[in-house]
Amino acid sequence: MWSVVKSVLAAFFGVQKDAQRREDFEEGHPVAFIAVGILMGLVFVAVVAFIAVSAAR
Amino acid sequence: MRTFIVWTAGCLVVPLMTTLAMANGWNMPVGVTDVSREVHSLHMTIFWICVVIGVIVFGAMFYSLFRFRHSKGAKAAHFHEHPLVEVIWTAIPLLILIGMAVPATATLKKMYDPSDADLDVMITGQQWRWHYEYLGEDVAFTSNLGTPRETIRGKGERGEHYLLEVDEPLVLPVDRKVRFLMTSDDVIHSWWVPDLAVKQDTIPGFVNENWVRINEPGVYRGQCAELCGINHGFMPIVLQALEEEEFDAWLAERKEAAAQEASGVDREWSLDELMARGEQSYNAVCASCHQPDGSGNPPAFPALAGNQALMEERERHIETVVNGVSGAAMPAFRNTLSPVEVAAVITYERNAWGNETGDVVQPSEIAERLEE
Repeated sequence: MWSVVKSVLAAFFGVQKDAQRREDFEEGHPVAFIAVGILMGLVFVAVVAFIAVSAAR
Repeated sequence: MRTFIVWTAGCLVVPLMTTLAMANGWNMPVGVTDVSREVHSLHMTIFWICVVIGVIVFGAMFYSLFRFRHSKGAKAAHFHEHPLVEVIWTAIPLLILIGMAVPATATLKKMYDPSDADLDVMITGQQWRWHYEYLGEDVAFTSNLGTPRETIRGKGERGEHYLLEVDEPLVLPVDRKVRFLMTSDDVIHSWWVPDLAVKQDTIPGFVNENWVRINEPGVYRGQCAELCGINHGFMPIVLQALEEEEFDAWLAERKEAAAQEASGVDREWSLDELMARGEQSYNAVCASCHQPDGSGNPPAFPALAGNQALMEERERHIETVVNGVSGAAMPAFRNTLSPVEVAAVITYERNAWGNETGDVVQPSEIAERLEE
């Protein structure tokens, strides 16, 4: 699970090690990446919204 | 040695050109409000960030092109990935962007806060003039291009403020917060005065807000910044910033004049009076399309001189000026001109250039129609 989170974070940033990418494609399950990706996308939006709201005060 | 000369020259060219550009007045003005000063300093900060990035990136590129050229036997490196370098070149732009966004957002917050204004001015864009209304003060007027038509056509000397002069400037006080409520009667215009760092679209059916607090008295000029039709280049903005007492005196005077204008509705006007007044308003407002001699610019702008329909149908003539023609270029003047001006313009059009109907349209008749 932790490796899925790390891979999604790497995707957010846009840089991933080639070895890790191969491993993800061979061993990981697509649904796990999609689910974690959507969830972390929401977390990211919430963080940005929080920063924007506190900055607007 | 040669490399050194190329490098030095390269490093000197950029600052030299920017210095020249600024000295020539090509740069954004510092302006006369606190916000415009902040916008200018942001602009300069970001500009220099871009210059530094540009020098580094292009310097590295040209250096590499030169140093590792094929004729010197350079061999390309082949490697697939390098996570550390990739992280660095992703993180640096991210930090630069955040570094620019933080001060920019702080300034934007100030720009978008029109609360606690001392004075509200409604700015309405019209094809092709600006209408200013001092809300709650009963003062409103239209600001038309002041450059004479003959000058535009190449006859006569072009003055210093050619196409940047108006018949009546917007007058504002210094040191007071003035809120602008901006909209349009027809198409999208944009009210732009560089010295205020205000460039705001005026959109029909929307009211946009903006504000200024001017620090120095003076005359500031601007233009419409959104292509709005054939005379887009002929609706300049002139703003006169006065000291507070001078502004109060000006406003009181305008209020007085407005009250007098309103009382003009109740009395009977003579044909000569209406003709004189009508000629003035016609030339300021109507002549840009229908021409000073009433010859028009068909097919969009019909001739008024010798126009049989106009002379025979008094009622339709009044209706056309008051409410405009929907779907055509003719705007409604019910909100732009006072009842006296509308009556005078119609009387003028029915009696000028050989249109000798002898008709007199009284301001009271127009006022009644407006109340319906």
